[in-house]
Amino acid sequence: MNQTEVIAKLQMIFDDLFLEPVHLTPDISAKDVPEWDSLTHISLLLAVEKAFAIRFRVGEVENARNVGEFADLILKRLE
Amino acid sequence: MNGTEIKTLLLSGDSQFWDRLAEATREASGFEQLFLLSSLRKKAHARSLPRPGVVQDKIRLALLGGYSLYPLRELVEHICETEGFPCELWLGDFDNYIAEITDPGSGLYTFAPQVALLLPSEHRCRYPGKLTDPRALQQAEAGRVVDSILELVRTLHEKTRAEIIVTNFRLPARHDLGAYRSRTLGSDWSFRKWVNLELGLSAPPYLHICDLEFLAHRHGGLRAHDARGWFESKQPCSPELLVEVAREVAHLIGSLRRAPKKVLVLDLDNTLWGGVVADDGVEGIEIGDTSPRGEAFKAFQKYIVSLKDRGTLLAVCSKNDEAKAKEVFAKHPEMVLRLDDFVSFQANWEPKSENLRKMAGELNLGLDSLAFVDDNPAEIEIVRQFAPEVATILLGPDPSEYVTQLEDCRLFEPHAITSEDVERTANYHSESRRKALFASVTDMGAYLRSLEMEASIGEFAPMDVRRLAQLINKSNQFNLTTRRRTEADLLALMSDPDYIGFSARLKDRFGDHGLISIVIARKTGDTIGIDTWLMSCRVLKRQVEDEVLNELARLAKERGCVRITGVYLRTAKNEMVRDFYENMGFTLTAEDENSREFELALEKFETLPTRIKITRRAYEPN
Repeated sequence: MNQTEVIAKLQMIFDDLFLEPVHLTPDISAKDVPEWDSLTHISLLLAVEKAFAIRFRVGEVENARNVGEFADLILKRLE
Repeated sequence: MNGTEIKTLLLSGDSQFWDRLAEATREASGFEQLFLLSSLRKKAHARSLPRPGVVQDKIRLALLGGYSLYPLRELVEHICETEGFPCELWLGDFDNYIAEITDPGSGLYTFAPQVALLLPSEHRCRYPGKLTDPRALQQAEAGRVVDSILELVRTLHEKTRAEIIVTNFRLPARHDLGAYRSRTLGSDWSFRKWVNLELGLSAPPYLHICDLEFLAHRHGGLRAHDARGWFESKQPCSPELLVEVAREVAHLIGSLRRAPKKVLVLDLDNTLWGGVVADDGVEGIEIGDTSPRGEAFKAFQKYIVSLKDRGTLLAVCSKNDEAKAKEVFAKHPEMVLRLDDFVSFQANWEPKSENLRKMAGELNLGLDSLAFVDDNPAEIEIVRQFAPEVATILLGPDPSEYVTQLEDCRLFEPHAITSEDVERTANYHSESRRKALFASVTDMGAYLRSLEMEASIGEFAPMDVRRLAQLINKSNQFNLTTRRRTEADLLALMSDPDYIGFSARLKDRFGDHGLISIVIARKTGDTIGIDTWLMSCRVLKRQVEDEVLNELARLAKERGCVRITGVYLRTAKNEMVRDFYENMGFTLTAEDENSREFELALEKFETLPTRIKITRRAYEPN
């Protein structure tokens, strides 16, 4: 899997979670999406862990600054 | 759950959204599912999607504790709202609950909660000494932890009169200490068990335990913990258990104002026994210890008897030939349930919804006091459609799961078991003997005299609070104002000198009816205003209301009052008392569609003669 494929899979999770369609790009981040508040963020992390069958390590998610970095983190945990 | 479907309803502005949302919320198991539903709910509010039904006052709910209360607040708010009792929330800061409760100037008290949820910190529930310390020392420390929680709860309650929910403590789920863990009270395992037990057993009436130990046990100990969630965002437990905690909190809040079901109505064939008695004959049905299926049905009957023993009434509603159906109870040696366990027995070929209506009428209860159990989906459906107030339980295909289905239905949970609950079936049986006597006596006066009634009237006492709150919250028909009150409300009212509150108990030659009538009134100047007057319908036409008015007039005169005022507030269920005050000699002073106001001048009032002997009066030394 590469970053693009991870983002494509993330797109499906976002489509489930968000009411207004969000088009994911590597540069997009929570501050660009009004619906992406801390509440949605918690749901998002749980959904991602389930969909990719991974578990993030303590404290590492907050270092990802945008969707691209988040996708890279997912790739790292998939290794 | 279909999130997409609900989303579509929201986007198209369809108000069916709310019903589907409530349904999906009930079914949702996972945290993300529930979160998604909660965000849909908030978006619906943001779009002002109209919601059919009555707008209710929000319950003021405070959340405080040794954890981050976010996202728990989200879940609690969501479930409470979809279950029909929306809450307005106040949130304490992370681990600041001791200060928030002890400081009289804290925002908590400005908010004035009606219900408070406290999650004391697990990290303070730990024995600080050595595992090998003397047991007495460890026990004393556990007692200290319990006392400190009870002290906080008491302070909070005294300042706010709120009902309080406290979570107790999870037990560890790791092997640490091995078998030694249960040989000392110093281990977290033993210490927390002890604290949890003491806390529950010492809880005052206004304290309701949200049993985290039980919830974690039910959910699975390993899945109850989430160390990462604690380090990252100070969560009290795993997200999945948090959902269970939120559901339990909502259930506790709901049950403060909702009474448990009074009657368990049972189908017969393939519910109480295997097979169809009309086809298989009394000898042919499956019940008893000779086969695994028979044993399962017998266990189900035993469980039903245990429900009866703690105060639930039992009834039968079956499509059957009555004589044939009754023969099973009378003749089959393996039956646990017997005919005299039931307060009503409807075996005929009428629709079950009709039979349930008839039954409710006979028992003087509302349809919403009944819960109906059947193995046949078609029968459940007809009841859902034509008697929707009745709670229904559709039994699954396997009788070995019948008991667990009832155990998990949450319809018969006592707030507290009183001795009167236990005597209830006996009471209903003497009621039918009383009716038989009534049928044989034509002269009403002679009938009432023959009952040899005795009533005892007493001012509200703390010991009675539980039973008073029970009656106030379940009484619908003979209830002039239908104002509900919690135990905490009642305790507050008892300490207010302007309030008069008394209750009456009645017994007769057939049995003790227990507490059957309640009055709350308030003195303003030279007027006594009746706030609440209610009576159990079991004692209708027994002159209890006459004696209650006599008592009220006596108390009013003693307090120098010249008039009594009363109001009738119309509900869907209290039509029977619409003209009550007029019939009692009051004069109508104002009236609109939903309320009628009355007044009684005391100088014209003469004590009403009755056949009841009064053995005690309120506010009098005995």
